[in-house]
Amino acid sequence: MKTRLSVLTVVILAVWGMKRYYADAGGDDLWWILKPTARLAGVMTGTAFAAAPGEGYFSRERLFLIEKSCAGINFMIAAFGMLAFALVHRAASVVSGARLLAVSVLASYVAAVLVNAVRIAIAIWLAAHPVALSTFTRAGVHRLEGIAVYFGGLMLLYELAQRFDRRAAPARSGR
Amino acid sequence: MNGAVWSVMGRAFRRAAPPLAWYYAITLVLPVAHGAAQAGALFAEHALVVLVLPPALIVFACASREGVRMLATRARACWRRPPRHALS
Repeated sequence: MKTRLSVLTVVILAVWGMKRYYADAGGDDLWWILKPTARLAGVMTGTAFAAAPGEGYFSRERLFLIEKSCAGINFMIAAFGMLAFALVHRAASVVSGARLLAVSVLASYVAAVLVNAVRIAIAIWLAAHPVALSTFTRAGVHRLEGIAVYFGGLMLLYELAQRFDRRAAPARSGR
Repeated sequence: MNGAVWSVMGRAFRRAAPPLAWYYAITLVLPVAHGAAQAGALFAEHALVVLVLPPALIVFACASREGVRMLATRARACWRRPPRHALS
């Protein structure tokens, strides 16, 4: 119980800290998430994104900028908190608690890059096909798409985590 | 709406509660705590969209899933029913 409470405290502090870091960070500070996202989105859309110092990653061909607000940090923070809370019952010792935190950070980072690249690929497609959604402004469509993809990504990640948890539980008890 | 539909919706919302709670916490609660609400109407409009769209998506996904399931059940029933000339 004590270990779990400690893990939850660390998670809440980490969420707060990541949010603060994100608020103060510049485009260049977020290279660790912007670079793989830009590369993956580039592969998905067949577009080349080049680093734009101080801004992020820019595609001249599509006139699309992946900037700080597009970095997917909010998704990563939400995914990290969600995973850690969902799997906290696995933290029976300090070691398993640390492992849970590490796995949650890694999984949320990978999920953030993947989901954000999908979101950018869809945004680029929507920008190229504006007629079908002419009742909304371009910014409105971008916002709706962002919410739908991010929330859908969180749901998918949670389902995967639950499935993994259910599958791992009998194996653990059967040991 | 009948009880079965409400029950399906209830189950879907219970299942989606953790992702929904974390999504709201990061996109609404923490920004408000950091003073984002001072942006006024701009933030209020954004918050309204963020608040409404995820539950709407859950309802839409539920309705679509139930619709597909109903169609599949009917199609299966039609497939299994023997042709009339086979009965005579």
